[in-house]
Amino acid sequence: MDLANYKKVWKNQPEEQNKISALEIYKMTQSKSNSTVKWIFIIGLLEFVFWFAINHLGTKNGALDPYKKLNLINFIENFNYFHYVVVVLFLILFYRNFSLISTVDNTKKLMTNILLVRKTVKWYVYYNLINVVVFSIILNILIFNTPDGINILSGIDNESFNQEHMKSVFIIVEIVLIAIMLLILWLFYYLLYGILLKKLNKNYK
Amino acid sequence: MQTQLEKNFLNDFEKNQNIVHKICRIYTSNQDEHNDLFQEITIQIWKNYSKFRGESKFSTWMYRVSLNTAISLYRKSSRRIKTQDFSDVSFKIKSVDYDDTKDVQLKTLYNGIRELNDIDKALIFLYLEDKPYKEIAETLGITEVNARVKMNRTKEKLKKILNP
Repeated sequence: MDLANYKKVWKNQPEEQNKISALEIYKMTQSKSNSTVKWIFIIGLLEFVFWFAINHLGTKNGALDPYKKLNLINFIENFNYFHYVVVVLFLILFYRNFSLISTVDNTKKLMTNILLVRKTVKWYVYYNLINVVVFSIILNILIFNTPDGINILSGIDNESFNQEHMKSVFIIVEIVLIAIMLLILWLFYYLLYGILLKKLNKNYK
Repeated sequence: MQTQLEKNFLNDFEKNQNIVHKICRIYTSNQDEHNDLFQEITIQIWKNYSKFRGESKFSTWMYRVSLNTAISLYRKSSRRIKTQDFSDVSFKIKSVDYDDTKDVQLKTLYNGIRELNDIDKALIFLYLEDKPYKEIAETLGITEVNARVKMNRTKEKLKKILNP
């Protein structure tokens, strides 16, 4: 059967059986929208609160004490402030994207704005992953350049240990830790935003 | 107590709700998803209703907002659930001259459209609804020539799906 005939079938299709009453429609208008872009903004916000709380709790519980001994606390705090500023900028972008998306626009404009949402999230994830790597590398260089840095940090203060040997072990442990952290973070973002973006991505294939 | 704006909206929307149901049917595959999308479209149309200036027909404007919502804002991904398919319940006609073959053909058409991507779905839907190319182009934000080219490609895709 050709499309013209299918079109006739389409035109003659019966009216919807489950008509929604005016009262039900009115009730629907009173409920909240549930859009993907809105959820990206909300999740971004919650994520910010989550990391902020973790950081705060870590500092309170003395997780940073060894770094105080190494005089690296200023570096860590400044890096954190910088990070918060960037994340807040991203949140502003998320909000702007969310308010840009309008179903009244034509589809092309809407798709362009959705592409922007996708790009922003992508850059946000890249930024977070790169941030972890850069932070870890700088921190490690600083520890290495501090006399007895590794000993203070590892809590082992025994001169009988071969310092060169300690250094190589330390480097390997650090590389493994960074790799594990990156993997966990990547998984975290993949689950968080990947699923949300899946629907938005589909239309560009 | 409903305002005049709300009354006008409800009146306009109720009269044209069939459009929304058809869109929900091509963009979702079961009744739960259908209801979710219907609600989201209702919210979007109401949210923007005060901005509707009456420059075009309400139904034309409604096509655009509904399709855009279905294309981009719908949160749940279109899972292809074959079980509990609503096609069995939705198309029963109670009239005397009930024709079963028409029912089967309609089901085949809907299933075929569901295989297309979201933009192609919108194109084919506007074609089936007999919208002129000028309106299709405006709704999608492309030129009329581009709309014709895209439409031909989409029709070919659908033909292949319907007649493998």
